[in-house]
Amino acid sequence: MTNSLAVRAEGLTKRYGPLTAVDGISVQVGEGEVYGILGPNGAGKTTFLRMLFGLVRPDAGVLEVFGRTWSRDGTATLDGVSGFIESPRFYPYLSGRRNLQVLAGLDGGVPAGRVAEVLDVVDLTGREDEKVAGYSFGMRQRLGVAASLLREPRLLVLDEPANGLDPAGIRDMRALVGRLAASGLTVLLSSHDMDEVEQICDNVTIMKQGSVAYHGGIADLRRQAPPQAHLLTTSDDDAAAALAAGRPQLSVTASQGRLAVRGTQSAVDFYVSTIVRSGIAVRSLTLGEAPLEALFFLLTESGPESGPESWPRPGLDPAASVAGGRA
Amino acid sequence: MTVTTSLPSARRCLAPAAGVLAVVGLVVGLTAAGSPDVTRARVERSLTPSFTRLYVDQQRVLGHEVPAASVAARSACDRGGPQVADVGAGADWICLVDFTDQTGVHQQGKFELQVHANACYTAAGPAKLLGGFTIPDTRGRDVTNPLSAFDVCFDPDA
Amino acid sequence: MSTDAARGIRPGPGTRRAAAAPRRAGTWAAYRWELVKLAALVRTRATLATVLVLPPLVVLLLRGQRAPADTLFGRHVHDSGFAVPLLLLGFAAQYVFPLLTSVVAGDVFAGEDQHGTWKTLLTRSVSRSQVFWAKTGAAVTFAAAALVLLTASSTVASVLLVGHQPLTGLSGQSIPAPHAAVLVVGAWASTAFPLLGFTALAILLSVRTRNPALGVVGPVVLGLLMGLAGSLGGTGWLRRALLSTPLEAWHGLFTATPFAGPLVQGAVVSLLWTAACLAAAHRSLCRRDITGG
Repeated sequence: MTNSLAVRAEGLTKRYGPLTAVDGISVQVGEGEVYGILGPNGAGKTTFLRMLFGLVRPDAGVLEVFGRTWSRDGTATLDGVSGFIESPRFYPYLSGRRNLQVLAGLDGGVPAGRVAEVLDVVDLTGREDEKVAGYSFGMRQRLGVAASLLREPRLLVLDEPANGLDPAGIRDMRALVGRLAASGLTVLLSSHDMDEVEQICDNVTIMKQGSVAYHGGIADLRRQAPPQAHLLTTSDDDAAAALAAGRPQLSVTASQGRLAVRGTQSAVDFYVSTIVRSGIAVRSLTLGEAPLEALFFLLTESGPESGPESWPRPGLDPAASVAGGRA
Repeated sequence: MTVTTSLPSARRCLAPAAGVLAVVGLVVGLTAAGSPDVTRARVERSLTPSFTRLYVDQQRVLGHEVPAASVAARSACDRGGPQVADVGAGADWICLVDFTDQTGVHQQGKFELQVHANACYTAAGPAKLLGGFTIPDTRGRDVTNPLSAFDVCFDPDA
Repeated sequence: MSTDAARGIRPGPGTRRAAAAPRRAGTWAAYRWELVKLAALVRTRATLATVLVLPPLVVLLLRGQRAPADTLFGRHVHDSGFAVPLLLLGFAAQYVFPLLTSVVAGDVFAGEDQHGTWKTLLTRSVSRSQVFWAKTGAAVTFAAAALVLLTASSTVASVLLVGHQPLTGLSGQSIPAPHAAVLVVGAWASTAFPLLGFTALAILLSVRTRNPALGVVGPVVLGLLMGLAGSLGGTGWLRRALLSTPLEAWHGLFTATPFAGPLVQGAVVSLLWTAACLAAAHRSLCRRDITGG
């Protein structure tokens, strides 16, 4: 990892009337990193990316892309930056190839033959002379990625690239993003899917209602995630819960009509056999959400600040803290 | 969610309201300024030479070569009677043109003018004196009478 | 996805260019690509085709009819081939000119909003200002092309079908053929200034309303209203400040002593309108937050 930063934001704020879409966030993306911006819909991810692309003017704060800012350097800020916001849109009355030619012409310095190359990368060869009006959603997503590759980008910004695709399309898109990341580009990916981010990204910023709820490495995040819960339904939940009271290394909480049992495997085994022996029947025992997904929901749930203190975490260091919040 | 105070609604309306006021003021100012484009002098000064030329053309069609100088036309125009000022566009302009016809007799034709705001007018000539819509040419064919109705434009700044 | 994707992610050896400061596309390149986009639109080609085909049809239609007396030179359409283009000019000045340009200029910006492509366009290496001027240039180019085609079509069709007889001017004088031809072309050419003004007006509406329908219809409605206001009497200098007035300034070419006052005033007024509308539109585009497409 180099010392230079691809993207640096500090105290970045954007308000639309009474609504604050982005509230003083700070983000640092190093060159060569694969960085995820995660958050539920309305968290401000897209607004942040729009500010990066100069589509929207921030109200306060600093935003630098490879050391350049919009106010000082203008359109030069986008040198080496490619990508798309939400689902990419093209001119429906032009063919796919024509659309790319127009965009390549506006990019400047795109060598001849590059259009055919990128069409091949995203597997649209053969359909490029049809009008975009007849493209499927997945084809337009791929054309958007193709448009992003026209000039050699140093930073690739993808806003929910798998959004709206069918499972095969999602798998292919993730594979493509993975290959792009492996080729040395800095990739900035925004998503509401923790699973996708976990697979590809090194570092992540989790946003909630315009603020940063967490930023740091994926590995750190995994370490701080609450352990996976087992979901238990029994014939008498109250009695079962009472049986768990006072046991070390075991935490049983009621969750959505079921019991969430957390603890080491042996503790859970012992607990299940105990409740069966006391005459309570076990109706189902399944694994709950993946730890990171659970963590994601905890971090981004609205309401009073849901911080690490509220996580049920038997046997772990309660002083473990999460870096993040407002810089 | 952080809620910030927005501009009070009164201030929000200020800029467009000022813009509308400015435009209205400009329109009113422009309308009040300047002198009328259509004046009696301009109408008379443009009608006289036009009539002369068209009379010469008409006489040529009928077979008489009349020199323009001998027509000696003079126009006197009036809009809508003594009560109405002789300025401005309208369909109520009446012009009396005194001229010497090709036989040397003094004649007076009454023309009805429809004057438009763009400094142009359509003049309709007296049918009894100067012929109707068509006149017979030297070969007996009916051709359009150049004097029955004709268009004239004048310089609004002359 | 292609299995050779890894190779295609970076430009292949055949297309590698010398590593240098990134070359950015200029306004000229953006302008050329706007023309490409315009040429692909049906409405552009349809308008130019109509402009080419309609005047000869009108000339043929007029042949069997009584000469229309309500428009200048209408009464002479059977007497001289130079009267029909002026009749068409008078008619177009009232109803056609704003539409002739707004059909493209009213959509050139609002179309991006309609297709949601601002975010695609503005994330390239061109600034908003460059995009603005490129689109303005393309709209003006189209308007100029339409005007030239309409002039040529009207004049050539009438002279061929009716003849090149001398024209009766606006002081009763007779204008011989070669001179009449020059004056007719000059009259059409004089409408370039107000046409530019209406183009700028359509661009302003296109940028502000972001609605192609309003951008196209707005200038037509405004043109009609201005024409109405201009035809009222007693409006002092207001008439000279309207954008519809210069469309009639060509009358001064056809009097016995030609006068150029309205032509000069009309050109100045049109340029002022153009400057004001383009300045407002430019500012609006450069300051806008693109939150949708």
